[in-house]
Amino acid sequence: MKTYNDLPSDGGSDVAGQVARQVGRLTKRLQSVSHTVAIMSGKGGVGKSSITANLASALALRGKRVGVLDADINGPSIAKMMGVRGASVEYGTEGVTPATSPLGVKVMSMDLFLKDDDTPVLWEAQTQKDAFTWRGTMEISALREFLSDTEWGSLDYLLIDLPPGTDRLPNLIDLLPNLGGTIVVTIPSGVSQLVVKKSLTMAKEIVNIPIVGLVENMAAYVCADCGKTENLFPASDTAEMARRFQIPLLGKIPFDPRISMAADNGNTFVEKYPDTSASHSISEIAEKTESFFNHNT
Amino acid sequence: MKFLCLECNTAMKFKESKAPEGGALTAIFECPDCFGEIAMHMNPWETQMLKSLDVQLGGKSDSAPPMQMVRSFLSDPNEGAFSSGHAPEHASSTASEPEGGKCPFTSVVADAFQNQAPEPVDLVWTEDALERLNRIPSFVQSMAKAGIEEFAREKGIAEITGEVMDAARGNFGM
Repeated sequence: MKTYNDLPSDGGSDVAGQVARQVGRLTKRLQSVSHTVAIMSGKGGVGKSSITANLASALALRGKRVGVLDADINGPSIAKMMGVRGASVEYGTEGVTPATSPLGVKVMSMDLFLKDDDTPVLWEAQTQKDAFTWRGTMEISALREFLSDTEWGSLDYLLIDLPPGTDRLPNLIDLLPNLGGTIVVTIPSGVSQLVVKKSLTMAKEIVNIPIVGLVENMAAYVCADCGKTENLFPASDTAEMARRFQIPLLGKIPFDPRISMAADNGNTFVEKYPDTSASHSISEIAEKTESFFNHNT
Repeated sequence: MKFLCLECNTAMKFKESKAPEGGALTAIFECPDCFGEIAMHMNPWETQMLKSLDVQLGGKSDSAPPMQMVRSFLSDPNEGAFSSGHAPEHASSTASEPEGGKCPFTSVVADAFQNQAPEPVDLVWTEDALERLNRIPSFVQSMAKAGIEEFAREKGIAEITGEVMDAARGNFGM
């Protein structure tokens, strides 16, 4: 009896060929993107999306052509933060034209496709029971389509805002084996850093993706009245973590409530409040990101 | 996954798929030597897994419209995002790809058009048209509806009837 490997094909479906064509379509699309950068943490609630939106705007303010892919399929927030929520996506023969922020940043997010604020991402199925068996695959397929079917055009940077979870980066690498680098976000809490260390190990030692650097968010609080800086958390060991993993500490971003307020209003903080300590930190991170890719490509 | 005809020791070929019944897809394979056939029944979760991989039994053309998977299977989408006004010209041809007959899901759309169908939106749907639309499996209903409405708008038709659906079906080449 012939075995699996004796049979030349799968009977005409050519599933392997279909997958290869999907990969080819994605590769072709991203040929005009110079650098793909994943913004990750592993830990939720550290401000990845906020930093992604502001870093994108900071790079755009530096004259770069920037796109942002909101890879958080189930909890998309980038569209709101960048003021494009409710924008129509336009279908062309070659792909879907993304929304564009006031600074010209191209944005693709599941949020652009959802009916309203209360609508969660659900996929049509006979039953949602036991959907854990296929939902993850559906999300990866959606992410692949966002990457390959969005008309990104020529970009200097495509920032990919990853959802929490140390598994998110390897999942992305399956789609984007040539990912240019990753920026890892933490806050100065022990719990956050416990998870972030796992993400750093994943990036550095397991999937071997270049790490642009570490960002400490909510590093301190600057009093709006007197300008005095106070720590929000007990002593941070972010710098020590950067040393241990031999990666740059790109910057520390102080907590500023206006970052959240700006995001709620669809503005990016660096654009609306350029002359603030947090904006200066984000701009410095943008500069170091550029420098990283200038020296590593 | 490959299938072997034990009688002939020959690889079986995909022949056709049957519309998912209760979410369970059936694929028929045939031995090219003895023409013996087998049916592979997939349970709803296996069927859903196939959908989620965005691959099609029997092969798939390389010219799938952009965001086909998201547009086809996202529940309760923003109607504007998927409406004909924004859809690519060939979006509704999802169900009419050259190899569409081999695609289990596009086949379902074709069958639904042949037999019946719907549900409403900004255009007016007649009762019988809505009934036909409602008989389309839920996961392709939005795609079918968008295609019919696009056709109606293009033709300047305000009311969607069974006849309009038939005409739309003909327009899609199904």
